[in-house]
Amino acid sequence: MDEAKLMNFLVVGAMLFTLGMVGFLSRRNMIIMFLSVEMMLQAVAINLVAFSWYHNNWNGQIFTIFVITVAACEAAISLGLVMMLYHRSGSLDVTVWQNARESGVGAYVDEEIPFVDAEPIEFPHL
Amino acid sequence: MLLLSVLLVFAGLYLMLPPRGQAARVIGAALNGLALALLVTQFIRPDGPVEIISESNVFWIIGVATVGCGLAAVTSQNPVYSALWFGLTLLGTAGLFLLIGAQFLAAATVVVYAGAILVTFLFVLMLATANGSAPHDRLSWEREISAAVGAVIIGVLAVSLAKIDKAPPLAIDSTPKGGEARQQEILHPAHLARMGRELFSTHLVAVEAAGMLLFVGLVGAAAIVAHGRARDRDIGGALPPVELNLAPGRATAALTGKET
Repeated sequence: MDEAKLMNFLVVGAMLFTLGMVGFLSRRNMIIMFLSVEMMLQAVAINLVAFSWYHNNWNGQIFTIFVITVAACEAAISLGLVMMLYHRSGSLDVTVWQNARESGVGAYVDEEIPFVDAEPIEFPHL
Repeated sequence: MLLLSVLLVFAGLYLMLPPRGQAARVIGAALNGLALALLVTQFIRPDGPVEIISESNVFWIIGVATVGCGLAAVTSQNPVYSALWFGLTLLGTAGLFLLIGAQFLAAATVVVYAGAILVTFLFVLMLATANGSAPHDRLSWEREISAAVGAVIIGVLAVSLAKIDKAPPLAIDSTPKGGEARQQEILHPAHLARMGRELFSTHLVAVEAAGMLLFVGLVGAAAIVAHGRARDRDIGGALPPVELNLAPGRATAALTGKET
């Protein structure tokens, strides 16, 4: 019965991790890619806490504290880098920088956008 | 049955990733829900007797809600909506932490993750988004392979995690398990006192290293921005044009303002 409860938590963590991986591999907005990385870190945190409960041990929860700390650090630095990239190229698109790909791999060419927004969405600006 | 649910997850993910219209996203969401129900009923076993409101039911409600919010966060075509769905995912994760007895981590997730990191995200989105919905938000690349890889990994993990109670116990695993043993150690009422004692005695070096990491990160982030601004000032406000070498397409036409 303990193992069944542990397994349920691990399955939720695994699904969240896979969703984060799919988002990281397939989205083009740099900030959404980073959001998917944070989702993968949350899934790992779920796994750690579930194992901490199962093994009756504090190590999992303490390591989750460090995971949150590292995620905060990584958020600060990576968002600073994303801002610098945005200032250089004017877009958050990651395919703008595809000059940095391996030599021998073809360039990625856009496909047609199948629909256009009815009215443009007004985001708040700073 | 496993193959069917994997195929359903692949179809659902492929239909939900941008660019897709409203109808395709609804169908994809329904396919994903069906696949999730198949996976749950086939491979996950209930623990304990079945009641209406039990710990197991609450866990399933929060778990399914978390995974659904994660799916919406990854496939949303509006980056601010993605950030908000991710905020809901964090709340679901905090609920899961609370269910398993990690009260401090539940509060820490909400305060630090949803309250600081997510707000930083939203600030950067406000600083770096052009007017309207950009074309690169409404497109995603390598959609087929990403969806296929995601579906296969979900299937493999669901099957391999279902066999977890048949694995032999580890030789080094010496902590006592069972209800009363857990009440004494990990589910002790003085949760924060126990965790603090463990953190600052056994893991003291790690705590100091984490503090140093945060300091280094702070200095590094400030240095990146300061160096960039100093270079702007040295050049005189105009950076030399970046050799972007853009591939022809709609996104680059929107960026450079000319049709190719």
